[in-house]
Amino acid sequence: MTILQERTQAADETANPPMRRNASITPYLFLVPYFVLFAGFMLLPAIYGLWISLHDWDYLLPGKPFVGLDNYQALFDPASAVFDFFWQSMQATGIFTVASVPLLLVVPLAVALLINRKFPGRTFFRAVYFAPYVLGVAVIGVLWRFLLDPNLGAVNAVLGTTTPWTTDLPWAWISLVGVTVWWTLGFNAVIYLAGLQDIPRELYEAARIDGGGKWAEFRHVTLPGLRPVLLFVVINTVLNSANMFGQAYLITQGAPGVETRTAIMYIAQTGLRDFKMGSAAAMSYLLTIALLLISLIIFRLFRTKD
Amino acid sequence: MSRVRGIAWYTVLLGLSLIFIAPLVWMLLTSIKTPGEATQVPPTLFPQKITTEAYGTLFEAGSQTPVLRWFLNSLLAATGQAVLVLIVASMAAYPLARMQFRGKNLLFGMILATLFVPIFTLIIPNFLIIDRLGWLDTLWALIVPGAASAFGVFFLRQFFESLPRELEEAAVLEGANSWQVFTKVILPLSKPALATLGLISFLTNWNDFIWPIYVLFSPTSFTLPPGLGILQGAYTINYPVVMAGAAIASIPALLLFVLAQRYIIEGVSRSGLKG
Amino acid sequence: MNPYLTRRGALGLGAGAGTAILLSACGDSGPNEKVTGGGPNAAPAATAYTGPNVSLAFWNGFTGGDGAFMKTLIDQFNTEHQNIKVSMNVYQWADYYQKVPAAVSSGNGPDLGIMHVDSVATNAARGVILPLDDLAASLSLTEDDFSPPVWQAGVYNQKRYGIPLDVHPLGLFYNKTVMEKAGLDPEKPPATADEYLTALDKLKSAGVQGSWATPFQFTGSMWFHSLLWQFGGDLFDAGAQKATFAQDPGVQALTWYTDLVRKGYSPRNVAQDADLVALRNGKNALNWNGIWTINTLSEDKNLQWGAAPVPQIGTQKAVWAGSHQFVQFKQRSQDDNKLTAGKVFINWISQKSLEWAKGGQVPARKDVRESAEFKALPAQAALAQQIDYVHYPPSVPGIGDALNTVVTAVNESVLLRKEPAKALSDAAAKADQILEQNRKKYGG
Repeated sequence: MTILQERTQAADETANPPMRRNASITPYLFLVPYFVLFAGFMLLPAIYGLWISLHDWDYLLPGKPFVGLDNYQALFDPASAVFDFFWQSMQATGIFTVASVPLLLVVPLAVALLINRKFPGRTFFRAVYFAPYVLGVAVIGVLWRFLLDPNLGAVNAVLGTTTPWTTDLPWAWISLVGVTVWWTLGFNAVIYLAGLQDIPRELYEAARIDGGGKWAEFRHVTLPGLRPVLLFVVINTVLNSANMFGQAYLITQGAPGVETRTAIMYIAQTGLRDFKMGSAAAMSYLLTIALLLISLIIFRLFRTKD
Repeated sequence: MSRVRGIAWYTVLLGLSLIFIAPLVWMLLTSIKTPGEATQVPPTLFPQKITTEAYGTLFEAGSQTPVLRWFLNSLLAATGQAVLVLIVASMAAYPLARMQFRGKNLLFGMILATLFVPIFTLIIPNFLIIDRLGWLDTLWALIVPGAASAFGVFFLRQFFESLPRELEEAAVLEGANSWQVFTKVILPLSKPALATLGLISFLTNWNDFIWPIYVLFSPTSFTLPPGLGILQGAYTINYPVVMAGAAIASIPALLLFVLAQRYIIEGVSRSGLKG
Repeated sequence: MNPYLTRRGALGLGAGAGTAILLSACGDSGPNEKVTGGGPNAAPAATAYTGPNVSLAFWNGFTGGDGAFMKTLIDQFNTEHQNIKVSMNVYQWADYYQKVPAAVSSGNGPDLGIMHVDSVATNAARGVILPLDDLAASLSLTEDDFSPPVWQAGVYNQKRYGIPLDVHPLGLFYNKTVMEKAGLDPEKPPATADEYLTALDKLKSAGVQGSWATPFQFTGSMWFHSLLWQFGGDLFDAGAQKATFAQDPGVQALTWYTDLVRKGYSPRNVAQDADLVALRNGKNALNWNGIWTINTLSEDKNLQWGAAPVPQIGTQKAVWAGSHQFVQFKQRSQDDNKLTAGKVFINWISQKSLEWAKGGQVPARKDVRESAEFKALPAQAALAQQIDYVHYPPSVPGIGDALNTVVTAVNESVLLRKEPAKALSDAAAKADQILEQNRKKYGG
């Protein structure tokens, strides 16, 4: 890549007079459409959101009283009306993330190792495991709500149980995590597979000569070899789990009470159903900061390993 | 020995496949059952009486759940956004891959950084912006805001960088300007990457759920995912109808996947590499 | 094309007839001008519609069995009225309350809808729904046609916004087989505090926990509301400035309710709807539940059950009730034909509400309620006896948010996580904050 860059530079400076002449403005012109959208729907909302969060903002009412930092303060004041619900929802997001991320890291890796060799039907199996991911959360949600129905569902019928999969704890969490693993396993597995294929064969051969056995091979060759994709997989999985919405919205609807109502669900409900947009905006900034911190910590962890 | 292991290993793979396929088969089977049979305890595997009643309910004229309309809306929104992403992202990726200019690294860094900002956190201000634009309850709300795809720019930039420079240089010598180089040389060479990005954008939009449930209100402007939520509410106990709706929403996605499996999977795996 | 300009233009036209308040001048106040203020409802109300063909969109949240009853009524209306076509769309109530205000504000709102009493004021303040005083006037509908609490429930700021369709009070549902087993008269359910406790003791000695106390809103909070009013208390003071549910009557009420668990008349940690399931399975005898329960229990052909007014535990008769009210939505461009046709529809359905009652409701109209046909629906008629002492929360915008604190208090107390008095006073403190915020926001 560096070589390519140098070549680009050299080309620009010597063999490419027309391009160089335009270079002052042309690149920016190409970037304009993207940045119009970027500014309109990323930058602007990020700033507008801050402004909203300083008000008691119901977009249907004429009065949007300025309240300063009250919306933020309320999130930290145990006596406020939102405190319990907000932290309950953050807790739900936390529980889901902590329970689902390890599974979403390990199970797809196992599946990837299972099909990481040449055999007839390899493409078929890879496609089958990936298939649920192609379906959206809406399809997955209504489908599993039916399958997991405590009284009428196929899951209880097959297992011969009467487990309250969607209406009681801890079952509701087990269902949500299980469905998510089923749904997105293929995505991570495919990325692992690509990573596995990038590991040079010679390393395995060298390990075999050292005679460490399968486990040593895995620890000293496979895992380090996966390092480049692992960072992406970890961050991507954590962010997706922390943004869980559709599964809980459709399968448990927050049940049994509000225990499985996640932060995103509560924010959307507060802002777009109860129209308390100021409070919801404040909550989403808090959530964003938390997620950025977590991303940063993950980056750090990967760096210190170097 | 190795044969026994081979068999055991295939058994594991097939067992796993069953876990992934069975729920989808169940969805299809339920959609052709009668409402009574679908909620029978214990359930029947194959329908005792095959009926297309559920699909009839969804397709009947004047239905309060116009699934065909939703289908069309989904198709329009997903195609619209895929096209917009392709245009905008390829235009942005070209200078980032092939030109030198002030602020390039900063711009690219900014774009990459948005990969880590969960878009959901902007849902409230974006809702208000869409309202100001008069786009609430229209497909514009689904097509435009998400089109600034950081992934798209990143993905195409990687691809453009890997293209050989000779053709481009030849075109320049013949007097082509940057726009001509872009449309006549770069884009035609990038068909596989554009197809992959187009497919992934289409599928992402086709499946989008949280945003449409909050910006679409009237039954005629829904896309399929929020429509499914409405179906689940309106036909609480009529599971064949809900499953028929889910099947209708799944089929195009699954079909696309089967036809373009390689592109999609490779696109996804590339997203994780060298990230 | 500037969307605001056209939007304002359209509103301006409509405003010719009335008093649309345009706040477009306020820079940061957002695009609310389109729905703010009590918009005009200039069309004269009528009992008949003779204009050109119109179609009306009617949205509601009747997702259960009640939706089917409404559909039948609408089909009948459409056949009887050749020039009006009503089409119904059903959402879950939560989705409905999210979509309707936003849809109205973006100019794609439906023509007609249903709202629960505790949402009428909020949506009136938001300018989502139109005043219907002229409809009531031209149909000569008065308090006497309904009953005072029911009729007053749809009024906000001295204007009527809702026409009552039905009343859905709580009632006492009982399992006759279980009562008989415990030596109780299955035809004479307990009606007073003493009778209730005596019955519970007998059930207990027969090995039955006789009255399950659910910690959830459905229907634990409603049960608590009923008791609160029975002990002479109220949720809020006049004008809903302060929460009063944590005062003595509230504490008495919640203590009585929590004691069901403490004294072993109810198991602990009752799951959502488990109380009703237990009643059907013969593990529970007396359940205070909504009138909609009639539908559920009727499905059970083998179940011997009855329905009665809720017992009087406190010093006076009172019961919680909800009510579905017809509302008309504000449109970006007003169509007088649609408004008139909508009123014809509301009037027609409200007279036909007997059919609706069969879906498990009490009709709001007195003439329907007193008809022989209605009296032939024993369970509905039994619960309808309570109509004169039903209570609703005050008609104040945003009251639902304040009421949510009560839900939490009941939950904490019944789960034995907090003492009743403490749970209530914590909730009241939060409710006071919410009421104050609401006054600022809605300008009350």
